[in-house]
Amino acid sequence: MTQRATDGGELLAVDGLRTHFYTQDGVVKAVDGISFAIRHGETLGVVGESGCGKSITALSVMRLIERPGKIVEGTIRLAGRDLLRFSDEEMRDVRGNAISMIFQEPMTSLNPVYTCGDQIGETISLHEGIPRREATDRAVEMLGQVGIPDAKRRAREFPHQLSGGMRQRVMIAMALSTNPELLIADEPTTALDVTIQAQILELMKALRERNRMAIMLITHDLGVIAEMADDVVVMYAGKIVEAADVNTVFERPHHPYAKGLLASLPRMGERRTRLEVIQGVVPNPLNLPSGCLFMRRCRYAMPVCATPPPLQEIAAGHLSRCWLTPAGEPPAIGPDATADVALEAAAALSVAP
Amino acid sequence: MESTQTTQLPAGGATLVDEVDLTPVRTYWQLVRQRFVRHRLAVIAFFLMAILITAAIAIPFLTGTAWRETSLERINQPASLTAPFGYDNLGINTFVRLMKGLQTSLFIGLAAVVVIVFIGVTVGAMAGYFGGWIDNALMRMVDIVLSIPTFFLILMLVAFWGTGNAWVIIIAIGLTGWTTAARLVRAEFLSLREADFVQAARALGARDRRIVMRHMIPSAMAPVVVAATLGIADSVVVEAALSYLGFGITPPEASLGNMLTKAQDYFYRDPLLAWYPGITLVLVVLAASFLGDGLRDALDPRQRVEAA
Repeated sequence: MTQRATDGGELLAVDGLRTHFYTQDGVVKAVDGISFAIRHGETLGVVGESGCGKSITALSVMRLIERPGKIVEGTIRLAGRDLLRFSDEEMRDVRGNAISMIFQEPMTSLNPVYTCGDQIGETISLHEGIPRREATDRAVEMLGQVGIPDAKRRAREFPHQLSGGMRQRVMIAMALSTNPELLIADEPTTALDVTIQAQILELMKALRERNRMAIMLITHDLGVIAEMADDVVVMYAGKIVEAADVNTVFERPHHPYAKGLLASLPRMGERRTRLEVIQGVVPNPLNLPSGCLFMRRCRYAMPVCATPPPLQEIAAGHLSRCWLTPAGEPPAIGPDATADVALEAAAALSVAP
Repeated sequence: MESTQTTQLPAGGATLVDEVDLTPVRTYWQLVRQRFVRHRLAVIAFFLMAILITAAIAIPFLTGTAWRETSLERINQPASLTAPFGYDNLGINTFVRLMKGLQTSLFIGLAAVVVIVFIGVTVGAMAGYFGGWIDNALMRMVDIVLSIPTFFLILMLVAFWGTGNAWVIIIAIGLTGWTTAARLVRAEFLSLREADFVQAARALGARDRRIVMRHMIPSAMAPVVVAATLGIADSVVVEAALSYLGFGITPPEASLGNMLTKAQDYFYRDPLLAWYPGITLVLVVLAASFLGDGLRDALDPRQRVEAA
């Protein structure tokens, strides 16, 4: 659960992370002060629409942000050690060993000029310092584990000879070949069709159980989240707007954005001619509005929203960045309330549970 | 991974067979060969090049020192079975000498291309991979080298380091000819750097050197192979020109260039002496050019611009 530093089983704790991109047009605050934690063996789902900072968060954890991007603030603790203080050399050791990552596009994430077995074997021999021959045997074994039939033959094939689902299995085999504690999966099933998607999710679940591995699952697909995640973080324009366990988010979403996301899903057994949509678009990251970033698209927008709302605990373990009371009512302040009044109201709202 | 893997994965095994695509797939090299064979001239050029290289190696090897053996009795003797092109004014077997000259020229051409590819790939890969000021500095260096009239620079280098030495010519051509290869490799690297598989390699903890050597250079080689093949033609011509001017290979060593120089002295009496090295030179250049074109079509079908 987010911001529960006392929890003993924490594997990854991100605190106040800010990753900004210094472009020619100005500073893009792609990730702007987010905090979350993942316990051993837990799956954290990170949801949000394109450009909300999900992937940048993942790349920040891997420290793979390239110019003009920069992690400007925050800590990323893996088992208590701050990754941001690691040297490049130490960080390379973390990548692939403690944390592995799989990407959205299985079509292009494998090197076209090497066989699948070669690529997995390379990873294994690189990390464990064992001879290539042995590593290749292990690679075949890994391919079998991720459910590739006739693994021995497939290991000798090139990526273009495999289907998308098979390639994603190869990517997963590669990422898991070094038995990481944390797997970051950046939209692992987005490029796959639904039947293959279900198979890949099943595979990830099974491997999670067996390796007692934590997963940070980035997706914009709420169906995937419902299937896989223990806890959920909803991001909007570089900030966390809602965080809770998966049941709370699906049953009692608090932030209007999270509500909108859920309302936009079609439901079984319901006849509707039109799906709900969230009006408008994400604000331009170069020119973010003052106040609540969601205000212009929010059906509950009120004057107090001109003051940026804090992320506050509205119930035990349920965080939301919205002025609405925990019950979803507008806070008891008038339309002429000044910013000071708003802040007072905010202070009154965030009563510790 | 703990190797106690008794648990059968729910998604694993035989349930997935329908996902396997069992249609026969043509490999990359099969496709390359197919596209190459479609280019008739390139196929002819390939065999021509093979014949020229074989002859240039085998004939001087089989005839020992015949390419520089003079003889008063054989001066200006006409063609015969053992000397299809007759004997020159010193009684040297012209055909054998021509093959020795071809050997020298081809050796210099190929070796210079090796130097060109080595420098070009190194510079291009560094510029493209690291980007920023390194890229800027290296590419400005390329601009500077390109702005110098190459042939005069080579002449100067050869005059400075000493004429008549094949290695000096190779280094001189190499030092001036790497710019195209560098630009091609840089361009490939700029796009490869953003490729997902490079990002994936990085996420798995690979070092810069490994990423460049193992993952990026093999993918960037297609245009380089093409440029190198075309570069052979250029290098052979440059060598011939240097030798013709007396700055390259000097007699008694043989090269296509110095055979042309000598033929000039006897042009009115025996014009064929000029035709032999001349035609050979043209054949080498044409073969290398068509071979390069064919390879470009085969290896790199998207690239259509002139590479060298």
